[in-house]
Amino acid sequence: MGLLRKIRATGRVAEPAPPRPEGGVLEKARELGGSAQVRCVDAGSCNGCEIEIAAAFNPLHDAERYGARIVASPRHADVALVTGPVTRNMAEPLRRTVAAMAEPRLVVAVGDCAIDCGEFAGGHGVEGAVADVVPVDLTVPGCPPEPEAIVAALRRVTGR
Amino acid sequence: MSAIPVALATATGLGGAGALAALVVPHRARVPLVGALTAGVGAAGAAVGVTALTGTHWSAEFPNVLPLGGTYLAVDALAGWFMTIAGAVVTAVAVYGVGYAAGRPARRPAPECRAPGPGVPGPGVRGLGSRGAQAVLPLFALSLLLVPVAASVSTFLALWEAMALGSLLLVLADHRERPAVRRAGVWYAVMTHLGLVLLLTGFALFAADAGGETFAALRAGAHTLSPGVRGLVFVLVALAFTSKAGAVPLHTWLPRAYPEAPDPVSALMSATMVNLGVYGLVRTGFDLLGGGTAWWWLGVLALGGLSAVYGVLQAAMASDLKRLVAYSSSENMGLVLIGVGASGLFAAHGDRPQAALALAAALLHVVNHSAFKALLFCAAGSVVRATGLRDLDRLGGLRARMPWTAGLFALGALGAVALPPGNGFVSEWLLLQSLIHGLRVPGVAVAVVLPLSVALVALSAGIAAAAFVKALGVGFFARPRDERAAAAREAPPLMLVGAGLLAVGVVALAVAPGLFADGLGRAVSAATGPTGGGAPRGGGELGVRLADVSARMSPLWVVAALTAATLLAAGLPRLLARRRRRRVHARLWDCGGGAPTPRMAYTATSFAEPLQRVFDDVLAPEQDVDITPVRESAYLVDRVRFQRSVPDRIEHRLYEPVLRGLDRAGRAARRLANGSVHLYLGYGFAGLVVLLLALTTGW
Repeated sequence: MGLLRKIRATGRVAEPAPPRPEGGVLEKARELGGSAQVRCVDAGSCNGCEIEIAAAFNPLHDAERYGARIVASPRHADVALVTGPVTRNMAEPLRRTVAAMAEPRLVVAVGDCAIDCGEFAGGHGVEGAVADVVPVDLTVPGCPPEPEAIVAALRRVTGR
Repeated sequence: MSAIPVALATATGLGGAGALAALVVPHRARVPLVGALTAGVGAAGAAVGVTALTGTHWSAEFPNVLPLGGTYLAVDALAGWFMTIAGAVVTAVAVYGVGYAAGRPARRPAPECRAPGPGVPGPGVRGLGSRGAQAVLPLFALSLLLVPVAASVSTFLALWEAMALGSLLLVLADHRERPAVRRAGVWYAVMTHLGLVLLLTGFALFAADAGGETFAALRAGAHTLSPGVRGLVFVLVALAFTSKAGAVPLHTWLPRAYPEAPDPVSALMSATMVNLGVYGLVRTGFDLLGGGTAWWWLGVLALGGLSAVYGVLQAAMASDLKRLVAYSSSENMGLVLIGVGASGLFAAHGDRPQAALALAAALLHVVNHSAFKALLFCAAGSVVRATGLRDLDRLGGLRARMPWTAGLFALGALGAVALPPGNGFVSEWLLLQSLIHGLRVPGVAVAVVLPLSVALVALSAGIAAAAFVKALGVGFFARPRDERAAAAREAPPLMLVGAGLLAVGVVALAVAPGLFADGLGRAVSAATGPTGGGAPRGGGELGVRLADVSARMSPLWVVAALTAATLLAAGLPRLLARRRRRRVHARLWDCGGGAPTPRMAYTATSFAEPLQRVFDDVLAPEQDVDITPVRESAYLVDRVRFQRSVPDRIEHRLYEPVLRGLDRAGRAARRLANGSVHLYLGYGFAGLVVLLLALTTGW
């Protein structure tokens, strides 16, 4: 009963929903019908973006209320949330992960490193940005991006 | 004139002709001709059996054929039951054997065998296709059919020995290719002759006290024996027969001889020869000795329970495909012995209908076991022939490469796991019915033993499911773990036809056991006397009806319902999915890390590991981890060697001390024979004196 009491005592902690992000829903994501299953791929990140993604799905930002949900396998996913510059070791697994997802599928590059390799550009272990490896549909700039930005990007996929 | 003597003479003539043909006909025509003649032997034998099962009796004596006693033959329904099984199996396996022994194999034998040079002929000339083996094959088949016909002790023992020798020679057919065959042959020869000695002693005691050696004289004289002698006769004979049936503790020849024998021979031995152990037990215990006291049958029941569980446990642990199937024989014969023991127990307590039901369950399981076991050995033989591998840990992926063989093996495995719609389910259901309803028989022993037996039957059925899921799943599904398995090709058509005949039998037994009920009832009453309505009858819709305990079952409906449910479950999603979008073939999801290699696949050993943990105390597996560090540092590992084996514990505990003792006695006896001629003359003289003294004192 302790849990139930705690839930009642805590109440709702999620922040009020911000207005819909600009640009509206992506054309390619319309078919998803407001529900996006998300698979995160760390292609070589410093884990800063991972912390922010985790924050985006915490009770405060609660990305799930907009229809996005983290899943454990690309077979279940509609969206690949890719972070970090793509290292040589992760380039092929990233390609396979995206190939393993059912159509329609979207790739969201999260963080500056994912967009243009950021600090790590030119590193000997770096293959390139995410867009060099797989086609990218949406980018979330920032180093690391704030959870609000990640939520906003996911809302452009779910359209809610 | 009845059809039985004609068919018997035909079978004998064909058998002799087959042996002769094998010796004179050149290689090319030898195998097909001998195969056809052997199939004829089987068909004639089956005809005798079926005629006997319709209620025809026949007996004859030929006083001058064998020295000493003469030859006495008789066919009744009990003999007919076993002859029908043997004849049907011999016919199918003979067809299979033609495909097996003719021509070259798709793959060379395993590399642990001596690598054959380019000029070495395939098994068409060596092994089962050789002149000697082909000459023995029809005679062995004939002896399998004739053992139940024998109606005197000397005839029976002569045929029994012919069968043992025939099987021994056939087991040894591959001895040039693999040294392991020779060791297996020695074990088999010793065990089978140990059985013969026990049998000889038992029957000699019996015949001496009953005043005649024909079965009729034994039957008439059985009640004049003292209870002690009767008990001794039964114990000796039962030990010999259960050893032939492959029951624990005299089973050790079985897991050695079957895997090493050529595959059609394994099929013949496991599907017909072990049955004759049961036949001997039923014939002697019920018919000749006329029932007996409860402790005999409690002993049989205990042996049966022990074999059932021990055999199936070893089968579940085995990673050798043929060894697995061989140990499953031990299990199924254990189940049959449970039925026979329960039947004797009920008869000893005077409940004839219940006894008839239990015996009917046992006899039905005999035929079911023969059908699926012959099929399993044929399918396993096709696998071994195509890949040269018996190790389940290396097989795999055969479903795509040998679809027919995989299907046949699956059908056999379904029978062996005793689940509907397999044929083993019908007889195990009957066995459980007889055990559960047997509780109405009074007696403390019955009340204690029957629930235990029910539990043992259930346990063995459960473990059998694990064993055969392993054999089928690891051996045939997934990916090949060895290049030889990857290069496997489907067996030649004649082998598939032979196995297909057995498959037809399996399906008939599974779907319409009611067809066999009348013959079964006659066989049971031939053994136990009037059954009082206890034996199962054919039901209306091809089912089985037990009048006495008012139970009925229609496997046909079970099969129909299961098939419908499976088709629905498999077909409906496809039908629904077709309307939406076309299917896209995607690459296997491998977590992005690259394709999993066959080494990562589930092996037979790893599948059996959890079960092995559960039965750790019973199986006592031996595990050995040997870590070699690099020379510079004890913390850096250079090589890890892991070894695991599940030894036959009964063999360790029971046989090795005996063998060591024999060895010691042999060494000690060498001191008696030191090469001195004088001493040897002294021995002869002393022996003569002792003999004369014994004779004069009238001992």
